Amino acid sequence: MHLAWGPEEEAFRAELVAFIAEYAPPEALVQRDFAGMGEPGEGTEIVPEWARRWQAILFDHGWMIPAYPPELGGRNATPIQTLVFLEELASRGILRSLHFPGYAIVAPSLLEFGNEEQKKLAPAAIRGDTIWCIGMSEPNAGSDLAGLQTRADLRDDHFVVNGQKVWTSYATIAQKCFCYVRTDPDAPKHRGISVLLIDVDTPGIDVRPLRHINGMAGFAEVFFTDVVVPRENLVGALNDGWRITQGSLAHERGGLWVEGVARLEHGVEGLITLARHFGRDGDPVVRREIAQMYSRAASLRALGYKGFTSFAQGSSAPEHSYMKLATSETGKRLYELGMEMQGAYGPVVDDERGYEDGRWIRSFFTSFANTIAGGSSEIQRNIIAQRVLGLPRS
Amino acid sequence: MDFSLTDDQELLRDTARNILARECPASLVRAHIDDPTVAEPLWSRLREYCGLGSGPAVDLCLFVEATGYVAAPGPFFATVALFAPILEAAESDLLEKVLAGEVSGTVAMAGLDGLWAANREPRKTFVPEADRVDRVVVVNSGPTVTVAERLPARLVRTVDHSRRLFDVETAAAVADAQAIAPDALDRAVQRATIALSAELVGTCRRLFDMSLSYAKERVQFDRPIGSFQAIQHKLADMALDLERAWAAVYYAAMALDAGDDERARATHVAKATAGEAARRIGKDAAQIHGGIGYTWEHDLHLFLRRAFASEAWLGNTDWHHDRLADLIV
Repeated sequence: MHLAWGPEEEAFRAELVAFIAEYAPPEALVQRDFAGMGEPGEGTEIVPEWARRWQAILFDHGWMIPAYPPELGGRNATPIQTLVFLEELASRGILRSLHFPGYAIVAPSLLEFGNEEQKKLAPAAIRGDTIWCIGMSEPNAGSDLAGLQTRADLRDDHFVVNGQKVWTSYATIAQKCFCYVRTDPDAPKHRGISVLLIDVDTPGIDVRPLRHINGMAGFAEVFFTDVVVPRENLVGALNDGWRITQGSLAHERGGLWVEGVARLEHGVEGLITLARHFGRDGDPVVRREIAQMYSRAASLRALGYKGFTSFAQGSSAPEHSYMKLATSETGKRLYELGMEMQGAYGPVVDDERGYEDGRWIRSFFTSFANTIAGGSSEIQRNIIAQRVLGLPRS
Repeated sequence: MDFSLTDDQELLRDTARNILARECPASLVRAHIDDPTVAEPLWSRLREYCGLGSGPAVDLCLFVEATGYVAAPGPFFATVALFAPILEAAESDLLEKVLAGEVSGTVAMAGLDGLWAANREPRKTFVPEADRVDRVVVVNSGPTVTVAERLPARLVRTVDHSRRLFDVETAAAVADAQAIAPDALDRAVQRATIALSAELVGTCRRLFDMSLSYAKERVQFDRPIGSFQAIQHKLADMALDLERAWAAVYYAAMALDAGDDERARATHVAKATAGEAARRIGKDAAQIHGGIGYTWEHDLHLFLRRAFASEAWLGNTDWHHDRLADLIV
């Protein structure tokens, strides 16, 4: 056990820091103690021009997904180097991209499960030249994803798709959709699912934006009416789509927690500033609550490193579920505390009268998404109980 | 930041677990309630590990995590985690014999407020095992230390029979007071606090393991209660608290070993996180066990008592959060 990384990692870090200093646009430093996923406010573009350029620069310099080879926007980085990369970005509040589905989910899935033609779509997805959305959740398939009902009927050389997706992030600006569909309605629910690559401008697709609870634009409903999709757009084998839901950036799995923990740490700094601003920094209750939040963040950072140590040694550690559960729940409490500390001004989002544009209550609302999206806290507890602790299924 | 254990550390951890599982069954902890002398054979066995009183805090933590798992009674913890570090800080010649397992000892430092800060009070309290160690080191403001042989001691009864705490009259032990560097004293108290946090994580793990086994075995409504989501979610939250506390403790141990600037904050985080885990895991362990856990015959209470008493000792959760606030706010 030791605290410090080795000289090779530090050299890697120095190269990265120099790159950031030279190339990162000021806009890439997002409002870093926001709970949000990097979406901009109302009325602005979801993926502005500077963000597209930044993602392309990262790709071209091998800093987009460091563990990948150069042709996929990387530099064959080791697991520890990847962690250093994630730490440096997170500590500065820098996002690589403002649309995660393409580089983080679609590209790795295509590279693992796609045919040779489909693999060719990966570089553009990672570079951000193609914007992807993922057709996953449906009105009746949220946590029970395998219950999805959007039908795709195979007719000779094409599928005909009918149904509805919802909470589909980036669908309003995406060119392509990585879409989970039911191809065998008679099979047990996990065995009748397939994945299709669908061009969003195909006739019969209707995308309707949905606003978030925090007022920001973001996701959408997507309706499919007799949408024709060529058979060659099937990813993997017919009816074998469920295992593709497990696909993600395997190389970065050990470091998924880094951004969440950094956000908590920035939030604690924000709480201290807030307490001073409102003259609450001498209040023993407030002081203790801030220290509790600091403790949570610090202990989660330690747990993240512990999980990474197992990951780097090749074992599939359970820490991912622990970290997802704890960072999202802690975040919700942290923003709530910031709101509480403002007393009567907690809900004020008025530019002139509110504190920092109401960022605490808006972050509080935004943080609701984090205990739901990507597997709700209840699902995480089920996973821990059943897969880690070996308790019987209910 | 590397949490992997070396082969030697894995061996140390496994050795500790094996010795303590064999030498300290729950029946010993129970017998110790009425007769503290039953812990003497255990102390004879643990003497050979007193070398852990110096050297890496990580190694000490690996060992005392195992003593916490069995709620080990006796002078081992007081000797290696409190007495030895204070002697080392004071550059005492006695340290060598302590590390060799030849001399046991304890520390009298807290005043009647129960806080481990140097003070001038002649009566010190919460001194562990003061009636059965060879030496007591008295810490007074200055700070100074004095090593004494026996001092008048009176048992302070707590719910935890496995760790006996005493009031000690130290008036007779001020004659040869020796100055000690404040930084060195801070480090020694940090080391003791981190070690107690590790020990507490061990006790929490025992409570957790007992609860998990019980949830898998106990059948109600024709199925194991561990198949119910209400129980599963409790156990998931307990597991998270346990893992998080473990990580915080070893992070603090590494920070102390590296002499890192963060060690004071990390120590507060470690004890507070272990203390929070103890409270949640203790309460939920009792809840999951239901009626049987509320009985004297069941062993659960032996570990509940140790957990809640350890949470309070060397600064409870709130105290450590308040001191942490002094460093960050």
